Amino acid sequence: MSGRLLQVDDRKVWLLEEGSGSPLLYLHGFADLHSVKENWLPFHERLLRKARVIAPAHPGCAQSEENGDVESVEDVVFHYLEVIDALGLKEFDLVGACVGGWIAAEIAVRHPEKIRQLVLVGAAGLFVEGAPIGDLFMMAQPERGLSYAGLRQMLFSSADHPKALEFFPDGRGGLEDELRRYQMLRFSSRIGFRPPYFYNRSLKNRLRRISAPALVLWGEEDHMVPLGHGETYAHSIPRAGLKVIQQAGHSVQVEMADLTAQMVLDFIADR
Amino acid sequence: MKPVQLFCWHFMAYPYLDKDFDEKYDSGWVTVPNRLWDNDKARGLYREYIDQLAYADELGFDGMVLNEHHQNIYGLMPSPNLIAAALTQRTTRGKIVVLGNLLPLHLNPMRVAEEYAMLDQMSNGRLIAGFAPGGGPETFNYDVPSANSREKFWEAVDLIVRAWTEDGPFAHEGRYYPLRYVNPWPKPLQKPLPPIWIPGSRSASTLVEVAKRGFSFFLSSRSHGGETHKAQQQFAQVLAQHGDSYRPSRFGILMSAYVSESDRQAREECEEGVWYFLKNCLKGHLRREGRQLTFGPGVPYIPAPAWKEFLKNSQPGGRLLGDVANWEELDASQSIIVGSAETVYRRIWKMVEQAKAGNLLIQFHIGNMPAEITRKSMALFAKEVAPALREQSLKLFEQEFSAAAENQTAETVH
Repeated sequence: MSGRLLQVDDRKVWLLEEGSGSPLLYLHGFADLHSVKENWLPFHERLLRKARVIAPAHPGCAQSEENGDVESVEDVVFHYLEVIDALGLKEFDLVGACVGGWIAAEIAVRHPEKIRQLVLVGAAGLFVEGAPIGDLFMMAQPERGLSYAGLRQMLFSSADHPKALEFFPDGRGGLEDELRRYQMLRFSSRIGFRPPYFYNRSLKNRLRRISAPALVLWGEEDHMVPLGHGETYAHSIPRAGLKVIQQAGHSVQVEMADLTAQMVLDFIADR
Repeated sequence: MKPVQLFCWHFMAYPYLDKDFDEKYDSGWVTVPNRLWDNDKARGLYREYIDQLAYADELGFDGMVLNEHHQNIYGLMPSPNLIAAALTQRTTRGKIVVLGNLLPLHLNPMRVAEEYAMLDQMSNGRLIAGFAPGGGPETFNYDVPSANSREKFWEAVDLIVRAWTEDGPFAHEGRYYPLRYVNPWPKPLQKPLPPIWIPGSRSASTLVEVAKRGFSFFLSSRSHGGETHKAQQQFAQVLAQHGDSYRPSRFGILMSAYVSESDRQAREECEEGVWYFLKNCLKGHLRREGRQLTFGPGVPYIPAPAWKEFLKNSQPGGRLLGDVANWEELDASQSIIVGSAETVYRRIWKMVEQAKAGNLLIQFHIGNMPAEITRKSMALFAKEVAPALREQSLKLFEQEFSAAAENQTAETVH
C-alpha cells in the first residue's frame, strides 16, 4: 500500500497513489476504498496497471482530517480544488463513484479545462422527478440492532451479495472497518443529509459546461441512485455515453470489478 | 436548602392502538402510519391529559413536565409550548417545565426565546426552560443534519440566554444564526433569567457545556442504579473542575411510578399500560425490534473518536428497556417503580440517597393507562409518598450539602 498524508493549506489529506501513466483522480463512494477498506480494491488495482491512480479520502474519512466547515458540496469542491493544486495536477482523468461521482461532476462543471476525461459511476447529485435517491442513513440504522440487510440491499444488487456481506456485515465488523464506515456516513451527512438529499438542483443545467468526453456507468439494479439519474447525466453532458451493467447494483465497481475497470480503461485509452 | 422537588411528567402517548400493533408495525416512531389515529376515540384526549397535569398542580407537585416529540405514538406534543400555554391558565402554583424545546428544529432560535418569555410572563414566573438538541428520530423527520448539530445547539442556547439577559437590540454574529436585530419583546419575568435545564446522557461534553454555563442537568437515561450514581459523581466532578460545586438542585432524573393500595394490586392495575408503553411506545426508540432510530451510524452526530470509544465499549444488538422479557427484569431496571406507597417510597428513596438527585421527574401516566387509575396513583403518591421523600431528602441534603455550598444567588438563578 502506498498511502501518504498530503498537507493542503492547514489540513491533512490521506491518499493512496500508485501506478504510472497519465494521472487519474478517483473520488470514492460508500462501498469503496477509504469507506470500507484501507487499501485498493480489485477495481482500482486494475486501473493502476495502466494509470497513475490518486485516491484521496474525503475530509473526515480514513486518516483525512475532518473539516467542520464543510456544510455543502460547494465546500467539498473547493477542498478538492486545493487538493488538485497541491498535487500539481493540471489536466487529469476524473473518476467518481456515488457521492464521489457527484463531487466529480461539480468539479467538472466549474473547471472543464482541467478534466481530460470524466467517468461517473452510480453518481448522486441530480434531482430526477419521480426517482428519489434512497435513504441510506435510515438503512444505516440496523434492524434488531444487528442487521444491515437494508443497507446492503441499497448499495448492492442484493443484500446477500458476498461482497455486500463482506463490506457491511451484520453485528459488528472489525473496529477499524466499522470506524471507516461511520466516518464516511458522517462526512456524507454533511453534504447530503438535509434536503436536497444528495443532490443539487442547479447541477443539471450546468452539466453542459463539461467539455471532456464522459462515460456514465450504472448498475442496472441500482437501488440507491436509480438508473434514471444515469440517463439524465448522459443526456445532459454534451459528449457523454451511458453504459448500463446488467445484474449489478449501485456498487458496480465492486460487484463487477473487472468489467467496470475494463470499461473505464477502454474509455480512457480511446481518447 | 430545598427538599427533593417532585415533578409530574407526561408524555401524552397515543393510547388507542390495537393489541396487534407490535406484530403488525415495525416502529412507533417517524414512519408509524398516521392513519392509525382515530378521531372518534381521540376526541378530548388533550383535554384529559391537560386535566391530569392540572390535577398534579392541585395535589401539590412542585411542577409539571412537558417534552417535545414528533411523528410518533410515544408523545403527542410536537409543540410542548402549546400545552404549557394551556397550563399557565389552568394552574397556579407549580413550575411549568418544558424539557425541552428542540432547538435545531427551529430556523431561528429567537422564536423559542420569545415563546419561553411569553410563557414565563403568562405563568407569573413559573417557567423552567429546557433546551435539547433532539435525537435520531428528529434527525429523520425534521431533516436535521447531525454532524454539526451539537455546535449549532449550543450557539442557539447562548443566543437565547444573551437575548434574555442583555438589552436589545443587538446583532448576533453567530455562525449558524447570524441576526442583525435581537430584541425580544417580552423578556422573561424571572430575573436574570428562568432556570435552564439541559437533558443528556452521560456524555462528557454535554456535562462540560452544562457546567460551564451554570445550568442544571437532567439525566435522560431511563434505567437507574449504579449508572445514575456514576452520572451524578461525574457531573459533580465536572462542576468542581469549573469552580462550581454540586448541589442536588442541579441534577434531575426520570422514572415512572405507579402507586396503589398494595404491591399486588399495583402490578395488576398498571401492567397493561406498562406493557403498552414498553412494546409500542418504545418501538423504534428503546427497543431493538424493528429499526431503532435514536442512536446509530445513520445519525452520526458524535465525532469519530467518540464513536470508536462507543464501539469498544458496547456489544451490538444489546437489549434496551423495551426488550425486557418479563416483569422481574423490568423491576430490576428500576425504570418503572410499581407498588404500595411504602414500596414506592422505599425504592425511590434509595435512588435519591444514592444519586443525590434534587429533581425527580416522575411519569404517572404510562402507555394507555386509564385516566382514573392514573389519578388514583398520583393522589396516593402525593399523600403517602411525597411527604416522607421531602422530609428525608431535606435532612439528607442539609447534612451533605452545607448551607455555605448552597450559593443563594445561583439557587434563584438556576
